[in-house]
Amino acid sequence: MVPTETTVYIIDDDDDIRSSLSRALGKRGFQVATFDSAAAFLNVCDPEKPGCIILDQGMPGMTGLELQQELVTKRVDLPVIFITGHGGVPESVQAMKAGAIDFLEKPFRTDILVERIDAAFEGLFENRKASEKTRGARRKLASLTPREKEIVDMMVADPSKTSSKDLARSLDISPRTVEHHRARILEKLQIKSVVELIDLAIVANSS
Amino acid sequence: MKFSLGLWLAMCLAGLQFVTVTIIVSSSYVSSERVLLDHARSLLSDVAANTIAHSKGFLDPARGAAELAARLAQHKIVASDNSQLLERLLFQQLQSAPQFAGVFYGDQGGNFVYVRRSEGPTPFASKIIARDQDERQTNLIWRANDYEIVTQQPDPNDTYDPRTRPWYQSAERQEGSIWTNPYIFFTSQSPGITIAAPVFQDNEALQGVVGVDIEISAISDFLADLKIGESGVALIINRNGDVIAHPQQDLLKAANDDGTFRFVGIDEIGDLVAREAFGHLADRGEVNVTQQLSTEFTYDGADYVSTVVPVISEELPWTIAVYAPKEDFVGALTASRTQEIWIAALIAVLTGLVGLMIANQIHKPVRAFAVRAALISQGELDPSEPTPKTYRELDRANDALTNEILQRKNSEREYGLTFDLASRGMVQFDPETGRFLRTNPKFSEILGYSENELLTKTTTDLTHPDDPGLLPDLHKHAGEEQTFSAEKRCIRKDGEPIWVSINGIVVRDDQDKPLHAVATVDDITQNMHAEAQIRKLSRDLSHLARGEMLGQMAAGLAHELNQPLTAITQNVDAALITAEDEFDENHEIIQILKDLDMQSHRAGDIIKALRGFARKGEEWKSPFDIKELISQSLRLVQAEASEHGVKFSFTSDDLPDVLGIRVQIAQVIVNLLRNAIDAISESGDNQKKVTLNAVRIDNCIQVSVEDTGPGIDPNIDLFTQFETSKSDGMGLGLSICRSIVEAGGGSMWLDESTEKGARFCFTVPVA
Repeated sequence: MVPTETTVYIIDDDDDIRSSLSRALGKRGFQVATFDSAAAFLNVCDPEKPGCIILDQGMPGMTGLELQQELVTKRVDLPVIFITGHGGVPESVQAMKAGAIDFLEKPFRTDILVERIDAAFEGLFENRKASEKTRGARRKLASLTPREKEIVDMMVADPSKTSSKDLARSLDISPRTVEHHRARILEKLQIKSVVELIDLAIVANSS
Repeated sequence: MKFSLGLWLAMCLAGLQFVTVTIIVSSSYVSSERVLLDHARSLLSDVAANTIAHSKGFLDPARGAAELAARLAQHKIVASDNSQLLERLLFQQLQSAPQFAGVFYGDQGGNFVYVRRSEGPTPFASKIIARDQDERQTNLIWRANDYEIVTQQPDPNDTYDPRTRPWYQSAERQEGSIWTNPYIFFTSQSPGITIAAPVFQDNEALQGVVGVDIEISAISDFLADLKIGESGVALIINRNGDVIAHPQQDLLKAANDDGTFRFVGIDEIGDLVAREAFGHLADRGEVNVTQQLSTEFTYDGADYVSTVVPVISEELPWTIAVYAPKEDFVGALTASRTQEIWIAALIAVLTGLVGLMIANQIHKPVRAFAVRAALISQGELDPSEPTPKTYRELDRANDALTNEILQRKNSEREYGLTFDLASRGMVQFDPETGRFLRTNPKFSEILGYSENELLTKTTTDLTHPDDPGLLPDLHKHAGEEQTFSAEKRCIRKDGEPIWVSINGIVVRDDQDKPLHAVATVDDITQNMHAEAQIRKLSRDLSHLARGEMLGQMAAGLAHELNQPLTAITQNVDAALITAEDEFDENHEIIQILKDLDMQSHRAGDIIKALRGFARKGEEWKSPFDIKELISQSLRLVQAEASEHGVKFSFTSDDLPDVLGIRVQIAQVIVNLLRNAIDAISESGDNQKKVTLNAVRIDNCIQVSVEDTGPGIDPNIDLFTQFETSKSDGMGLGLSICRSIVEAGGGSMWLDESTEKGARFCFTVPVA
């Protein structure tokens, strides 16, 4: 079920853990890349390429939590699964708040890790799909004129007042002109109803 | 023993006087007595010499007469065979000396001429024996002073033969003149002696013997006339022990059985004093005195002096013995002696009295000084009062003494004040009996007795029966300053036991004899309790610190172990997948790998359980799953349990979370488990099992830990023991466990309803 183009990134300063984990995941069909530090990963990181990061919390230099923070700042949406030798409650809470998939205490069962990786990729692809819709909607909305955009905003802001008369009164223009703009908007956005328009606007406004 | 100065002076002065007088008196007495005795001895010697001279003078004419007669006969001036001429010659000789009793001549032919003095009827008598062949004719003639024959008659019965007589035979044998021993003359019954001289022919053959009889009673008369002191006596003793001359002539003779007489021996003489003085001279059968000897002796209560002088000559072996009572010489002296002693005693008494007066005079200032010193010492006289007139030396002593007394009184006052006002208890007591001599108010306060009550008690009365022996050991430290200190229990008057600290010193006199002991006493009951509390807390802290340290170590260790364990589990996983591609699912390698996987994860679980105790940030109460905690705890002690062959069993219902400090409750559980394991391993019982159970009771979860060990001795109150009996491990004392549980709002107890083993229970509130 996992697309072959996905990669599992293992970031841990312990050689034995890197080699054993990459071997175990490799045996289960994952494409694995290993890094002995956060910096090494950041050097080669391709945010567009679908992947899952398995991150050791306690590392010399940049810690796991710091790397996670860095990725959030850079808007890198790759899912992160923490593995840790001494899981402290405060660290795990911070990691989960920052969007980590899980915080596994070493030693963990490979099956559980694989479950988490699968879930991570599922989420990643859903995210990526949603992002695609949003970008399409935004592209369509970007083709509207300022007056058309103004009318869309008003309809999305108050879906109960989407009649031409209400809009003409608010914009202090004639209802006829409003009718004209609405027709153009539906044409440009390739939609047929105001309900679809509001849905598109919401998708576009989502992060 | 010490006397007073006055007595000493009196005794010395009076004694010296007495001794001086006594010495002078006795010395003069002794010396004068000695002079008198010396005089007496020389008097006795003179008497002896006088006697010797007289005796010689008395006997020498006899010798001359005998020898003359012998020479005349020898030179045929007198024809010895002419008896008439011979008789005449002998008659003339007889008349020449009054002491001659008779003169005679006997010859080898047995002829005999004898002229003697006679008691009557005429002054002289002769006896003439003439022999011719075997015939003999004896004629007795009585003559007057002028040699006229008064009467004569033959004596046909006479058998006398001169040749058989001792004097004849002695002279013949000696071939010279001889003296016979003195003897009692048969005819006159007077003591006498005979001298005999041999007459030789030309061819030196013996012709006959001339003899002279001498009466020696005249010597006794001479002795009787001697004046030797008042009643001194001189006597002459022959060599054979016979007394031959004595002032009392009747003592000389003793009758033989045949009617004849003999001399008495010195050892049988009637003069008892002489027998006492000289009787011993005849002890060896022969009197043999070689030199003059003066002695003193006592007889019948009277003292005597005596002197013996050696024999006059070899021919006259006579010893002169003289004795006289001492009294004759020193009697007057003795009489005056009593008088002298009385005078001496009187002088001694008088001088003694004078001595006493002088002593009193000398002693008076000293006595005044002593009285003053005593008064000052007792505080009845102010030392600043002017001193009485005494000697210069005493003045200086007085100054020093006054100074010393003032200082002593000051230090005594200070000591007394210190003693009474001291904030510590102070006591003086007899170190041997322990009887109190002095106590201060603070001591009364500590013990609850009044001072008067304490003075009737000893240290032993106050000490706790389990804590005896307050008295210092006096023998150990003899000779050095001895201090002692102790912490002991005492019993107050109200029966309350208290702890006191005692520090003391034993005070000794010059002879090292203990006088008393002084000690300070502090009530340290509070201190002891506080110390016990501190010790307990200190022990608790060390336990907690040990637990904390082990927790930190466990955390670090867990992290380090987790890294290789993770590598192992992942490699096992990879290996398992690889093997599953290659082998059948039941292949041995797959089973091995699965076991390996399981065991490595089990190791991880153990470490997680361990970490559960050491998680930071859990020192506050929080809800947690007690079943999970019990499971983790069991894993933690599993190794120890396996080592002792102990099996666990844990049962519980579905339970809500409890509220508490997780790590502390975990420590309580672990502690109970470890106690159970220890109890079982000690018991040696075959059934080694620890049963855990957790149930909800109202708003609490009750956890019980029951073992199959020997149980708890009901006499021991486990929870009040200061510490666990075990010093190892993370275990806490049961008292701390109970504290933890109670601090968390629960309770902990030992379920005593169990028949065998021990069952500990505790509760934790539900969250």
